[in-house]
Amino acid sequence: MNPTAEQIQKINHFSKVPLEMCAKIASVVKISECQPKHALLTEGDTGDTMVLVFQGQVEVSKNMMVKTASGLTTSRKPIIRLETTDPPPTESPITEPTVFVVEAPAFGIGEFSLVLDDAIRTAHVHATTPVKYGILTLEDFSNIVKNNPGIGGFVYFEVAKSAVQNLATASADIGNLTQAFFFALTR
Amino acid sequence: MTDDHSPDHTQDSDVSSNELDGVIHANKSLFDKLNQLPEIEALSSISIEEEEAEEKGPSSHWVTDTIQKFKGFYSGNELVRYAAWASVLILISTTALTIIEYDMFKESVTGHVGDTFVFGGDEPNWLDTFFHTFWWSIVTFTTVGYGDVSPVTHLGKFLTIIIMLLNFGVVTLLGGAVASVLVAQRLTGDDTLDESKFNGHLVIAGWNTYVPSILKLIDANQDSTDIVILVNETDKEIVQRVTTGYERLDITHISENFTHESVLRKAFLDKASTFMILPDSSGLLPHENPDEDKTVLTCLTAKSISESCNVIAHVLDTETVSHLKRANANEIVIPDDHVPHLLAKHVTDPGVPQFFDDLILKEEKDKGLQEVKIPRSLSGQPHNKVSAFYKFKYNWLLVGYAVRKAGFSLDEQMGESGSPLIRNMIKEQLEGAGVNLTSDEHVVVEINPPDDYKIDEKHSALVLR
Repeated sequence: MNPTAEQIQKINHFSKVPLEMCAKIASVVKISECQPKHALLTEGDTGDTMVLVFQGQVEVSKNMMVKTASGLTTSRKPIIRLETTDPPPTESPITEPTVFVVEAPAFGIGEFSLVLDDAIRTAHVHATTPVKYGILTLEDFSNIVKNNPGIGGFVYFEVAKSAVQNLATASADIGNLTQAFFFALTR
Repeated sequence: MTDDHSPDHTQDSDVSSNELDGVIHANKSLFDKLNQLPEIEALSSISIEEEEAEEKGPSSHWVTDTIQKFKGFYSGNELVRYAAWASVLILISTTALTIIEYDMFKESVTGHVGDTFVFGGDEPNWLDTFFHTFWWSIVTFTTVGYGDVSPVTHLGKFLTIIIMLLNFGVVTLLGGAVASVLVAQRLTGDDTLDESKFNGHLVIAGWNTYVPSILKLIDANQDSTDIVILVNETDKEIVQRVTTGYERLDITHISENFTHESVLRKAFLDKASTFMILPDSSGLLPHENPDEDKTVLTCLTAKSISESCNVIAHVLDTETVSHLKRANANEIVIPDDHVPHLLAKHVTDPGVPQFFDDLILKEEKDKGLQEVKIPRSLSGQPHNKVSAFYKFKYNWLLVGYAVRKAGFSLDEQMGESGSPLIRNMIKEQLEGAGVNLTSDEHVVVEINPPDDYKIDEKHSALVLR
């Protein structure tokens, strides 16, 4: 089953795309369902698909080296949880206060795959509730853009915004890490 | 340090006499304004009153307090415990014997006291009998055993046997407790410091030839604390000889190892304002060097007891400095640090080293370089006005400021920037490695700032008196 044009427009990256163009995107996306713990993306993999989550909650996590009582070990740390609001998840989502939850009507993950060939996944994404999602491939999207160049402007602008935000966060992270490094050295 | 208006000081100046008159006139009006400001002493007394008012909490009930104190005294003192049980045993035996051998003890009272005072008047009553039995109990318990009175009935003798056997154990334990208290006092020194006396005091750990000079300078400064605790294992008589004869200082000596937490707690370090750690020469021969590791260890222990205590560490080896910084020492004093500078100044600026000598080494009572509190009313004023205040009001030369800077907080510094994951990871990892995310408040010095430099409540003045 394909999603509706309205469902596609709920996703931030396609919010500025006119409804008739969203219908073209919807026509190449198939809705699938998965259960909790199902991996939607795996860190380190290469991929040319963007995951569109229409209903449910997913958790974004990264492998990190941490110091524990038994020494240094690699552990998967949750970074953020993404939760749909329209419609909300069918099951009660996880509400741990330690992990920030971002709520949106629907959302897309792996948007850089719409720009890069074989983009490397920078984090794990797995379902924490039953999730309804669709896959938009780079090839399908490129074909739509080729036939409807107007779509590209809207979508690539949103992807660029997301990239700039990531860059700003990364820059602040480097600043914090540098500060912490000097702080630890001088103690 | 003194006013000197000799013409020699102005003859090379470009300032005309009219301009000088203008400056003097301006300063006079400023002086009049400043004179209306409240005195430092008045402000100090207000702040002291405020602090005292803050310290006074709601008064708790005295009965509860007394019971709590007695409980604490009983559970914490072996001697009191044995004495209490001995008293109970004496009272029980007295009561039992009074009841069982009433007739015998009553008859004995009549035979012994003769015409002297008795509670019952002409005839001894139960109180006289009880007191007489109590006398017997004490004589028996203390193993004196006059033999002037003794139980007659089988039951009385049987009870007496039990009491005497119990007494043997209690008296032995009581004697042992007395002996152990005396031995402990001999070994650990005076263990009964009056806690109420110690608040905002100075604790000096370690002993070397600098101690008398340090005490002399602190004694000379009326504004500094007058309660000092010395913690070191140097011979008590040597310490006593050095620590007598001060005008103001009330010095207490704890003759124990200052690296132990229990010893620092005994010196009420949690209430101390300043803790000074010196290279300890206690028990060392003249050619032996103090163990600097003790200084680092003591600093770590002190900071674990009281994070807010101002720790000043004196080290001989510069390699110890980095360890002390990690141990969170507030100030680190390194001897000979100024020597190259002074030697070079003898060549480049003759007179400057002599100035330092006069300023530091020949400091007299209420003279020399001192730190004084700035009146609150001057907070927010520029440096030139504060400088004029001290010059015209007290004839002191304001050379700079000691500024209390808030400790650095990595958490505050990072704020909400970057991703929460990275911020949390930094905090978790540093805390896991034992690195404190905040540093203590510290003092920085601002010497001869520009005229428009603004003063706030974090500043105190460094004046040449």
